[in-house]
Order: sequence, then C-alpha cells, then structure tokens
Amino acid sequence: MTDEELVSLTRAAQRGDTRAMDALLDRLAPYVGRLCGPIALQNASDAAQEALIAVFRDLRNLREPDALLGWVRVIAVREAIRVARRSRARAADELPEVPAVGDPMLTVDVRDVLERLSPQHRAVLVLRDLEGLDERTISGLLNVELGTVKSRLHRARASFRKAWQR
Amino acid sequence: MTQHWPQGELDPVRRLRVLASTVRGVAMAETVVPADVEQAWAVASELERVLPRMIRDFRSVRVVDVGGDQLWLQARGRLGQRALFAVTLRPGWCWMQSRFWVGGIAASAETGGTRIAFAGGLRVGGRLSQLFDSTAQRLARQALGRLADEVQAQRGPQSD
Repeated sequence: MTDEELVSLTRAAQRGDTRAMDALLDRLAPYVGRLCGPIALQNASDAAQEALIAVFRDLRNLREPDALLGWVRVIAVREAIRVARRSRARAADELPEVPAVGDPMLTVDVRDVLERLSPQHRAVLVLRDLEGLDERTISGLLNVELGTVKSRLHRARASFRKAWQR
Repeated sequence: MTQHWPQGELDPVRRLRVLASTVRGVAMAETVVPADVEQAWAVASELERVLPRMIRDFRSVRVVDVGGDQLWLQARGRLGQRALFAVTLRPGWCWMQSRFWVGGIAASAETGGTRIAFAGGLRVGGRLSQLFDSTAQRLARQALGRLADEVQAQRGPQSD
C-alpha cells in the first residue's frame, strides 16, 4: 500500500466508510501487533485489539492523515503498557549493565528476557530498537525525562546481555 | 534481534470486535461452537444460503459479481426491497456494507472448537443510532444463534 493510498483510505474511514476501515485494518493490524507484542507479551493480542479500538474511535479527530502511522504508534504503545500493567506483568527495576543491540547470540529466549522487564522498559526498547526512534523523540512520546529513557534503555539492554552471558 | 520478538495477532473475531466497537449502530454477539474452524467457516461463508437463514428480513441473497476476495451481493427483502452489498470475504472473515446496512461474520479457532461472531446494524449516524441499539443487539444474538444451529446441523451428530 502506497502512502497516497493510505491517506486516501484514512480519509474515507474518517467519513464513515466501513469498507475503508476494514481495508485500513489490513495495514494497521500487523503494525500494531508488532508494537504491542514485545510490550504486552502474553496479552499482546488483547493490547492490539484495544489499541485499534482506540485508533478507530478517535480517527475522526486526526487532522493530518499523513501522520497516521506516528499517531497510531503512540496509541499502540500506550495501550500495550496499560494492558501489560493491568495483567500485572512482572517488573524488573534493578538490572546490571552493558548495552548490546543486534547481538548475534539469538539462542536466548527473547520472550523470557522481555518478561523480566517492566512494560515501561519494554516500550523504550521497542521504540528504540524496533521503530528506530532517537531517545529524545521517545522521551516526548512517552512523556518522560530524557534521562529516564536512557536509563530504561540501558537496563533493558543489560538484561539481554545478562541472559546471553549465562 | 527484533525479528525474534513476540507479536500480537488480531484474529478475525478480534478484528470484528474492533469494527463493532467503533461503527455506530452496530451490535455484536459471539459464541463457541464444537466444530473446527474449517467446518464452521464452510457453513458461514456460504452467504447465499446462510444469510437468509440468519437474517429473516432477507428473502434471498445472490452473488452478482466476484473479484478476488471482493464480492457484490444482491439481497431481496420480504417486502420486495433490494439492497446491493459490497463484501470482503476471506477465510474466517466477512465484512459487508450496503447503503443502509453494515455487518460481518468472523470465525477463529479456539480450544474446544471455534469462536464465531456476528455483527450488524443500520448505517445511521448520531443519536439516531442509539434508538436502534437494543434492537440491533437482539437481532445480532438471534442471527448468531441461527448460524450456530446451521454449523451444528452441517456437522452432524456423528462428528462428536
């Protein structure tokens, strides 16, 4: 789907065309699922559903259809954190050091490592490593201090390093 | 690293919940039938046969055009009225929209059988849609019950 097609579908969906909403789901559901997965883990499908309900409920208020995916990303991460917190996913606040992105040691059970992080730590990791956003942008999206983003990212990556070194 | 990260899946029933929760005037009902998803969908996707059984206002339904997963259906009502539906039909998923009516059917595998869901309602905006909420809810439950009966009937007692 091209950017122009996405904008056109978004405008049609905003006008109440439910076939356009259905077609928009083809594009948005995999994207939202990809964002919600590492944050909400076993509740990822619930989070994706809740996020997409929030997206379509508020779609009429999106003034710039060009900005759809960025807007959806904020909602998806917010809903994934909310659902993960609600399900009392285990948090790990104290983790040791040393970041490592793109490390080839992939035999580790990624899900197992993610489960030891809090939803907020996982959200920072998703936005940095999956979405490729810089730390300042993440700080703005999550409404937290830049230093907090850096420390969460540091701790999240350290947990992967720790698992790989076992 | 990120290619190994878990992903959230929006199965067809969850997808229908998204649309039913956000399209005004649409009500949804869901249930679990003791059949596998292929059996259930074989029944549910036979739209010409199953829609008039599910929705009593439809006297007949006929496919008038097909292009990939996009169909056009001509529905005729009990009073002779006609409606043309644009339909998306895929395994586990059906979404239909006419000028005045919108709705869908979904099926997702679940432990012990298949979760099937039906959603439908009038395309009316604003507060007018609230007047039809309870009616739409009742009609959705009835239509889903008839669909579940159809799945059971096609599956037959020997399948247990």
